[in-house]
Amino acid sequence: MNTGLFEIGAEGVDVQRIMADIQETVALKMQSGAYAGVQLARAERFNLMNMKKDENFFDFYMESLREAVFIDINDFEIRERRAAFAPLLVKLKKIIWSLLKFYTYRLWSQQNQVNGLLLSATEEVDRKYRDKIKALEDRIVKLESKLPPG
Amino acid sequence: MSTPPRIAFVSPRFSEGPTVGGAETLLRQLSERLVAKGWEVDFLTTCARNHFTWENEIHPGQATIAGINVHYFPVDSGRNLDTFITLQNRICRHADLTRDEELSWQSNNVNSRALYHYLKTEGHKYHRIVMGPYLFALVYFASQIHPEKTLLLPCLHDESFAYLKTIREMFQNVKGWIFNTEPERDLAQRLYGLDLAKAHVVGMGINGFEANPTAFRQRHHLTAPYLIYSGRREPMKGIPILLDYLDIFRERTNVDIKLVLTGSGPYAPPTRLVPHILDLGFVPEQEKHDAMAGAVAFCHPSVNESFSIVILESWLAGTPVLVHGAGDVMPDHCKKSNGGLWFRNYPEFEESLSLLLAKPALREALGKAGQHYVQHNYDWRTVDSRLLAALS
Repeated sequence: MNTGLFEIGAEGVDVQRIMADIQETVALKMQSGAYAGVQLARAERFNLMNMKKDENFFDFYMESLREAVFIDINDFEIRERRAAFAPLLVKLKKIIWSLLKFYTYRLWSQQNQVNGLLLSATEEVDRKYRDKIKALEDRIVKLESKLPPG
Repeated sequence: MSTPPRIAFVSPRFSEGPTVGGAETLLRQLSERLVAKGWEVDFLTTCARNHFTWENEIHPGQATIAGINVHYFPVDSGRNLDTFITLQNRICRHADLTRDEELSWQSNNVNSRALYHYLKTEGHKYHRIVMGPYLFALVYFASQIHPEKTLLLPCLHDESFAYLKTIREMFQNVKGWIFNTEPERDLAQRLYGLDLAKAHVVGMGINGFEANPTAFRQRHHLTAPYLIYSGRREPMKGIPILLDYLDIFRERTNVDIKLVLTGSGPYAPPTRLVPHILDLGFVPEQEKHDAMAGAVAFCHPSVNESFSIVILESWLAGTPVLVHGAGDVMPDHCKKSNGGLWFRNYPEFEESLSLLLAKPALREALGKAGQHYVQHNYDWRTVDSRLLAALS
């Protein structure tokens, strides 16, 4: 079979069918939450520009971003994987953390505020343009309905 | 005996030694094919090798390389880089520039008055003048000298530069266009409303080769499966996407998959991925082909390709490809060949790569389908006939 100048490839494999299966699997997994969260937001940081043709995925990305936007700056369980001197090392790490926390807490909490504000701004811009596009589309439909037939 | 047809190619760089780029390679290969057919071929280019600095590294003058008369002209000094970069940044942000601003951007881009002077005085000698790629001012200004015999070989991408008024004018002024693929031609038609009768899809021939994947694995002590990417490692080529995706793939799936890189350019991988990258830098063609043949897939994360020689090479090595689906050209190659899969986002990347890793028979079938596609559409005899038709 030919399309235009170039010959269509070998029989037996149909990549369009394979891709349709893959996309269906992805859609199901997204619904089940298998791709949600921080990892996905991180994975797509350089791919956002390429998502302009894929509005559904952009919505999903925004969902992931909402989950990822606030960095966890709270205390956490401090462990030591080396058996020797473990209690001592844990104690040392706790001291270091408490010293660091004194300096970093203010910084990270401000960063969280900025992240939250940026996300809100992005959501607001997105909402505003969706409303604007919807209004323009409605207007086009209205104007087209006024055209004479043919 | 009749005089052989005489043709000039014009490009900012000539593909030689460390001067590497898809468009330059393509123009040189087409030049060599015409030399082999008895044409007299002049290649007009600049003395620059580095496409970031545009320093004049080669002596101005003439040299015969593989039968091509290469004329080196100096790049003009006195570019106002501040103006150029400011305007270029605005173009990249899709800002609407006035025509004067666009001309200022072109004037402070890469130019060579010596080359323009040569074309003005000697251009009458040529039957055809082929020039590209489209986004260099050298091509923009050179195309205005003899538009009646100029064929543009643009290597066009759907990017902000393609939407400039001056670029549109250039496309509309020349005699015809030589495109690498049908999607590239369709993009140009959509952007500039071209007369398709004057548009030719030619591409480039790819020579067959033998590859030894086992020897490559042994040489580099590779036991784990790997993805490969060959070419320039620039953000425009989507390299950060590939690095992030592979890092997260390894984290989410616990599959020990490596990344082999050949080519040049700095890149910043996630720290966790660093031990799993084998960066070979510039390698001989044989080494590159061996590396391609042993890979799970050749991954090309760029959305700005007008042809992609490397994925055709990968298919000749019998290896399937995994490409970014947001571009037009590479997914089109995959659909026509049945030789590869594509992804638009991380989940699709993970599912596609998992499938390729889990099914060696599928990998083999995709690789063979791709090989068949290249052998039938991009062997030199087929490309030669398309090239001669375009030049006639």
